[in-house]
Amino acid sequence: MIFSNWRVNWRKALIPIVLSLVLFIPGCFQKEPSKFAQVQKDTTARGAEKAVAKNATQGSEFNKFFPADADGFDRVFSQEKKGFTEAKLNKGGKNVAVLSISDTTSLPAAANKYQKSTEKLSGFPLLVETPMKSTGVLVKKFQVKVASRDASFTADNRMTWLKKFNLDGLSKLK
Amino acid sequence: MSKPIFEAVDNLATGGITVMALNSLDFVIPGQWQNTVGFENTIKVVTGTDDPEYIQAIGERAVALYNDKSQGYQTAMWLYETVDAGSSALGAAAMASKVGESIPLLGFLNKITPKAETAQTIDLGVKLVAEIVAYCQINGLPGDSVGDFLAALMDQYSGPSLMRMAALICFDGLVPLGPDFIIKAIDGLSGMGPDQLEGNKTFQGIRDVIPGGDSGGQLGFINQSMDSVRGWMSSFVEDRGLSPEMVVSNLRGFVEVADDKLDYLGAFIDMSTNYYSHTGTQTLAISLIERAAAEM
Repeated sequence: MIFSNWRVNWRKALIPIVLSLVLFIPGCFQKEPSKFAQVQKDTTARGAEKAVAKNATQGSEFNKFFPADADGFDRVFSQEKKGFTEAKLNKGGKNVAVLSISDTTSLPAAANKYQKSTEKLSGFPLLVETPMKSTGVLVKKFQVKVASRDASFTADNRMTWLKKFNLDGLSKLK
Repeated sequence: MSKPIFEAVDNLATGGITVMALNSLDFVIPGQWQNTVGFENTIKVVTGTDDPEYIQAIGERAVALYNDKSQGYQTAMWLYETVDAGSSALGAAAMASKVGESIPLLGFLNKITPKAETAQTIDLGVKLVAEIVAYCQINGLPGDSVGDFLAALMDQYSGPSLMRMAALICFDGLVPLGPDFIIKAIDGLSGMGPDQLEGNKTFQGIRDVIPGGDSGGQLGFINQSMDSVRGWMSSFVEDRGLSPEMVVSNLRGFVEVADDKLDYLGAFIDMSTNYYSHTGTQTLAISLIERAAAEM
């Protein structure tokens, strides 16, 4: 009798232990939600706003405002999408910088950040973003950017190449 | 709905047969491919930034761009994944076909299974076309821009994209078809009928996005694509003096294989690796991150 009571008690005592383990162990292995889970949810929801605005300018319109090969650098177009064109700047076959023009209609925050600009290039607001090793200029609604991809390509180099774009021509693009 | 891009990049393997097989090709393009994995890590590697705020902003824009289906990134991912899945089925068929050739009792298998060489030839052609279409989707060109693709192949292909082409040449060309794989593939494809193409699983998987209209026109497009890249592929092989034996000796670190069983090895790699989607995910991530960083 005593023995069977002990067995019952032992089982009773086991229940909370097992239960707490069952609840606790998966908790240990639960992955933290990704930092990108929210944007994933927002951009896949029904009726979510598209990443690229319908009325954004076609990337092919931008090509003619890019600088040509110069000073031993080769300019090679690499992406041409709606609202965006990108070219790589290579030296000796190695990629050293990226040149781009984008339509900020799709991403107004990109245009808004130029409000903190204190410098100008050909009358257009200029912004150096050191953490990104990039220098950009806002020409009306278009952002022109040069980003370094190699330590040899300095902030001065970025300025030199930014000046080679046909910014005036771009400013006349609707 | 497809898997989120950050998950796809976070889940890329850091080891296993795919990574070992790709690493074995380092002698083909020395130091040009690193197995970069992890979404945030890829952002750091591509842009050179360590700033958490910038990394978050670039990542968010990249996720949004990927999820905008009109931008073609998801189609490219689907292509990379589908040709891998298709070739697993081909791996099984190639094995079965080989058994059929060597064991008379099972000779009937030849009637229902394509000969290994024919299947491999189609596979090579279809994978090449998948590369062209995916390239055009990622870079925003019309799907039949073989000329633009060829120019990019010569000028711009680097990192995971160049590794994928090296693997295509070695694992889908040299190993299963031998040193004259380019001629074999061109002759094989040009002498083929649309019905043979239609019976191929890899082709069936992606036929909806291959330019050319019907299967006859699509076969024409595959032929045209092979013909366009033959010069580039020949130089790639000749400049490096590549041979099936070289590829095999570098694979011997983890696969035991006899010299007369190279088609088995080809089938084994085909069945056991997903090198197309592995490097394809890396290619896609780089393009998305480059664009997101530029647009910000």
